[in-house]
Amino acid sequence: MIVLASGQVRMPTPRSFHRLFVANRGEVAVRVAVACDQLGITPVFGVSEADRDAPWVRHRESVCLGPARATQSYLDVARVVQAARQSGCTALHPGWGFLSENPLLAGLCEQHGVTFIGPPAHVMHQMGRKIPAKRAMAAAGLQLIPGSDGVLRDADEARAVAERIGFPVLLKANSGGGGRGMRIARSLDEVAPAYADAQAEARAAFGDERVYMERLLEGGRHIEIQIIADRWGNVCHLGERDCTVQRNHQKLLEESPSPMLDPSVRAENLAAAVKAARSIGYVGAGTMEFLLDTSSPGPAVLRFMEMNTRLQVEHCVSEVRSGIDLVHEQIRVAAGNRLSFRQDQVELRGHAIECRINAEDPADNFRPAPGCITRWEVPSGPGIRVDTHVEAGYVVPPHYDSLLCKVITFAADRDAAADRMLEALGQLHCEGVPTTVAMHQQILASAAFREHRYDTRTIPGFAGAKGNL
Amino acid sequence: MTAGLRHEGADQQLLSPGVGLVRGLPLAGTLMVEGSIVGELDVLGVLHVLVAPAGTRGSVEPTPLRLGERAVGHGDALVTLLPASLAEAGAGPADTTSSRDLGKLVFRSPLSGRYYARPGPDRPDFVRPGDEITTGQSVALLEVMKTFNRLTYGGPGLPERARVVAVLIRDEADVEIGAPILELEPV
Repeated sequence: MIVLASGQVRMPTPRSFHRLFVANRGEVAVRVAVACDQLGITPVFGVSEADRDAPWVRHRESVCLGPARATQSYLDVARVVQAARQSGCTALHPGWGFLSENPLLAGLCEQHGVTFIGPPAHVMHQMGRKIPAKRAMAAAGLQLIPGSDGVLRDADEARAVAERIGFPVLLKANSGGGGRGMRIARSLDEVAPAYADAQAEARAAFGDERVYMERLLEGGRHIEIQIIADRWGNVCHLGERDCTVQRNHQKLLEESPSPMLDPSVRAENLAAAVKAARSIGYVGAGTMEFLLDTSSPGPAVLRFMEMNTRLQVEHCVSEVRSGIDLVHEQIRVAAGNRLSFRQDQVELRGHAIECRINAEDPADNFRPAPGCITRWEVPSGPGIRVDTHVEAGYVVPPHYDSLLCKVITFAADRDAAADRMLEALGQLHCEGVPTTVAMHQQILASAAFREHRYDTRTIPGFAGAKGNL
Repeated sequence: MTAGLRHEGADQQLLSPGVGLVRGLPLAGTLMVEGSIVGELDVLGVLHVLVAPAGTRGSVEPTPLRLGERAVGHGDALVTLLPASLAEAGAGPADTTSSRDLGKLVFRSPLSGRYYARPGPDRPDFVRPGDEITTGQSVALLEVMKTFNRLTYGGPGLPERARVVAVLIRDEADVEIGAPILELEPV
């Protein structure tokens, strides 16, 4: 704020970007472009050959990064940064998945004068490696899950650690996220094959085959805390999200607030998460993921699993409850502005639910189903938000993930939000590829979902095939 | 780096193999063949020499002279080549796509995705020509939408046991649904 001699007060013009590179595809590319349009920023899209004619780049600027195969396009750091530079962009939004948690991208952007929209590279590096992340979070007062002390060297060490911490165990990719590169072993015989499979998937998905091990806590609920921070040391939370409804570690349905969290545990952990984010110098949007552990006697404990140093798919749930646009804040903060609100101004109201609609066939063990969408109609109305990149005639390519759209509903309480979601899903019409809509309808209508009789292992009310592939 | 090649009628186009700033493109009339230098691609300050790929033949089309550098994306045209007017219009590119007998016994891909012949890079192939396979046996991994699926042998019209005559897909190639993967003979 500048006070002029005349007594007039002039606010400094908020810093921003003119052109912003969207280093992602699909739904998140649309989400970022919408925010850019609202902020008066021109988005430039990096696309693969398969997405050259995709609906979200129509009438927009784009640079073709490479072939359809993600490792040669969306995952090629040098191509992405060069494309951002030569298209005159001064900022880059990585979205989620792909390179969004790659510190190399953040570092390379910094070197080449492109502002990476996310935390500083060193913070990302620290939190991206799960082991240092856990140490930092433990130091800030969060509870952990017992596991290996670092990355596993080989299958023999995996067996030794598994015997020490007790079965069942979960093998997880060191650079992982989104449920890729994870395998369960329930006995000593299963450890070596699970280790090899986790490595193979981690190598293909993240280019890093290192895995570590944790005790698998079965029957817990998945709860996560949304954090947003600026470069001035201001850190706020936007409450928690409950993502317990999952299949094979893939989240299906998310809601906020968590119906199972004790208010005192909630308050305690929200405060601890903010403190932890501040202690590591976090900037931008981030999420701390916890497991609500009910296995031990006494009150349920939130155990820290990992931090995602990026925007998450389910960020919309927190947005509709708080009225805060997280992508706006991400961009503003990256430009060096302060957060546009203080913690005491964050008012979390009502209940929000999000359903992820995927091009998968729940009746056939969630077989991914690329193909042409012949009919596409999405719901609208008060308390309903739909985020999508799909339209009638769009061909879902087989190269990337299967998310078609997200439907988010908001209402005064959980039952009302679930009822509104049922109404909304009834108005969603997709033909050409199978979708998970019917599964969500079964979940939302079920007594198990309404009465909280489920955990991460069971999809409430869904009778179809489930479990690990 | 090797440039890409696209046929546009009788003309050819040399394509950028990546994203970057291209400079030093050949002048109009230059004869280009396989191995000719197409120019330089500047990717984050590193210069990559672009080389014409196999099958290149033609002279650079006259275009307004462009000095300096130009930003290109993957697959963007660098230069257009007109058919070379030289007498040595040799043997055309004989496309030797192996035309296999379609009446043979084949195992087809149940999904579209990326085919992996091995469970891991340092592991042997699931099956090799000459192997005998039985229903339920793993024959490949298929990566569909980032998920790995094990392909097991079996299906309507296929015998309980069979011998692999040939593996028809290259490791890590993309396959379409219904594409033949294994050529088989009954045991």
